[in-house]
Amino acid sequence: MTTTENTGQAQDTPRGGDGGAAVVVRDLHQRYGAFEAVRGVSFEIRPGELFALLGTNGAGKTTTIETLEGFRRPSSGTVRVFGQDPYGQPAGVRERTNAVLQGSGLLEDLSVQETMSVAHDLAADPRPVDEVLDLVGLVDKSGVAVRQLSGGQKRRLDLALALLTRPEVLYLDEPTTGMDAEGRIETWRIIQGLKREGTAVLLTTHYLEEAERLADRLAIMHRGEVRVEGVLQDVLAGWGDRVSFVVPDEVSTGDLPAVLGAEAVVEAHDQELWATYTVTEGDMAERAHHAVAALMAWAGDRGTVLRRLQVRGASLEDVFLRVADGAADLVG
Amino acid sequence: MSTTPPPSTPTAAAASPAPSGPGSGSAPGTPRRRAPRTAKQLLRLTRMEFTLFVRYKTAWMFLALPVFFSFMALQLPADEVVPGFGMGEMAMLSSIGSISLILGMGHASNVFTARRESLALKRFRVSGVGQPVIFGGVIGVVAVFSLVIALLIGGFIAAMPDGMLPRDPLMLVVAILLGSVAFSLMGLLVTPLARNAESAQLAVMVPMMILIFASGGIIPLEALPEGARQLFSLIPSVPPGELVQAAYTGYDVFGGAAGAESKGYLGLWAAALPSIGIMLAWIAVLALAVRRFFRWDPRQP
Repeated sequence: MTTTENTGQAQDTPRGGDGGAAVVVRDLHQRYGAFEAVRGVSFEIRPGELFALLGTNGAGKTTTIETLEGFRRPSSGTVRVFGQDPYGQPAGVRERTNAVLQGSGLLEDLSVQETMSVAHDLAADPRPVDEVLDLVGLVDKSGVAVRQLSGGQKRRLDLALALLTRPEVLYLDEPTTGMDAEGRIETWRIIQGLKREGTAVLLTTHYLEEAERLADRLAIMHRGEVRVEGVLQDVLAGWGDRVSFVVPDEVSTGDLPAVLGAEAVVEAHDQELWATYTVTEGDMAERAHHAVAALMAWAGDRGTVLRRLQVRGASLEDVFLRVADGAADLVG
Repeated sequence: MSTTPPPSTPTAAAASPAPSGPGSGSAPGTPRRRAPRTAKQLLRLTRMEFTLFVRYKTAWMFLALPVFFSFMALQLPADEVVPGFGMGEMAMLSSIGSISLILGMGHASNVFTARRESLALKRFRVSGVGQPVIFGGVIGVVAVFSLVIALLIGGFIAAMPDGMLPRDPLMLVVAILLGSVAFSLMGLLVTPLARNAESAQLAVMVPMMILIFASGGIIPLEALPEGARQLFSLIPSVPPGELVQAAYTGYDVFGGAAGAESKGYLGLWAAALPSIGIMLAWIAVLALAVRRFFRWDPRQP
């Protein structure tokens, strides 16, 4: 696992016990008989920081979250929320945390208003119900039975219930699944507001764009292990910039030039041979420029043209897919 | 969703964070909030359970069953067992103790299995609601409806030509409350065995019927040999029935109705202590078993 120095907004938050982190996970293992669902996961989340836990289905994300929520005792390793073991949701933890579960967890025979009202009356320091319903756009549905809501509306209600208790640590397990594009964007806006307010957020999602937009740091899990971890820019930087073009007809693949700090791969796409240079070394801001300049100089010398020339940075999807293939080298 | 959040939304709060809001700088590990008192949470959750109970069609079936069993008991011979009370009437009184058995085992197992599978129980837990409060809500509603049905049957008894009211209403209430706690816990204990609400109803049926038939409400325990009767008195469905019989008749029926003596107020309570003790012991054992075996998560480890 790669640990990358944390940068950005989260460093400005006040520090206390555990280096100021609200959530600390150290070498967490979860075993079910011979099967080990989580294998040595470590991370921490500071107030005002969003940590995204990504991974394929069955990677161990939900098991990790359930351990943090206090439903599972670690097989080994330590988990601390506000410095306390969260197992069994002890007082001092349960009033300060909340979650949007992967499934909805709503009582279908209650109305939206009744659902919120019960949660409000049970909470330690709740926000006003109307305010939260307005925030998630369910004011006009307050009298409607939960069973009558669409999947996206139920997801909004899940979020409303989590917001209602003013959590200081919030676990979001695929919170926007089933939402339309507008709902997703509004949810992102709400989550960003929570971060600014100082809430420590753990997010799992299958929408990589969501993680790219919201995460201060992220980790990609595969088969119970964190394969990639760090600040988004560093994770992408480790993957490298790509320079691609169609190999000129008059050039054999063996004649392609070597570029300093880059690795070349030739693949056939759409009945054409494509050369892709992955540039991983050198100054991140300038390395693509130097690679392109070297290739252009080579093309000029050969009197040829680099057709359909493309330059792009790595996307989270590139990193994710490589990890999911099980072919990833550690990045970061 | 709204595009312009009101002043106190998370977004706006960022501009001027409230002193009590998250991220105000207190050290982690310092609890700054106190949840509403457990009793207040319990009452609120019982109120919610009441609303849901009224809306569940299956729950109405669990209300009808004890009424049916009570009137079935009246078909027994009218031979007098204690002065003024025949075998059928004593069985009917005993069946009042079984109301909470049917409601507690049937309703609690049904709704808690369904809620576990729908993640509704986890939803409460992650919102900071304690386990005793979540269990207490369903026990509360079982107690409320058991008292309502007992009142209904009690009203019928009072309206009969030689009808009467309970000599010790408090003992009647204690019997129902003890039964509500014990049998609701039993219902909760069934839920780990069931994958969904339907299978919970099937799983609960066999122990429920055994307990009902052994309670004295269907087959009078007086018909059993003394040794068997004493053994049966340890079964949790028997003490509530005996407490109701004693509460109505004012007789010490705890050692068997045959030859039972009339007791004064304190004497009757003193005679009731072993039965109350048996129920409290069952409640303690069942509570420990629920704590150990109850599953909150539909995912099998």
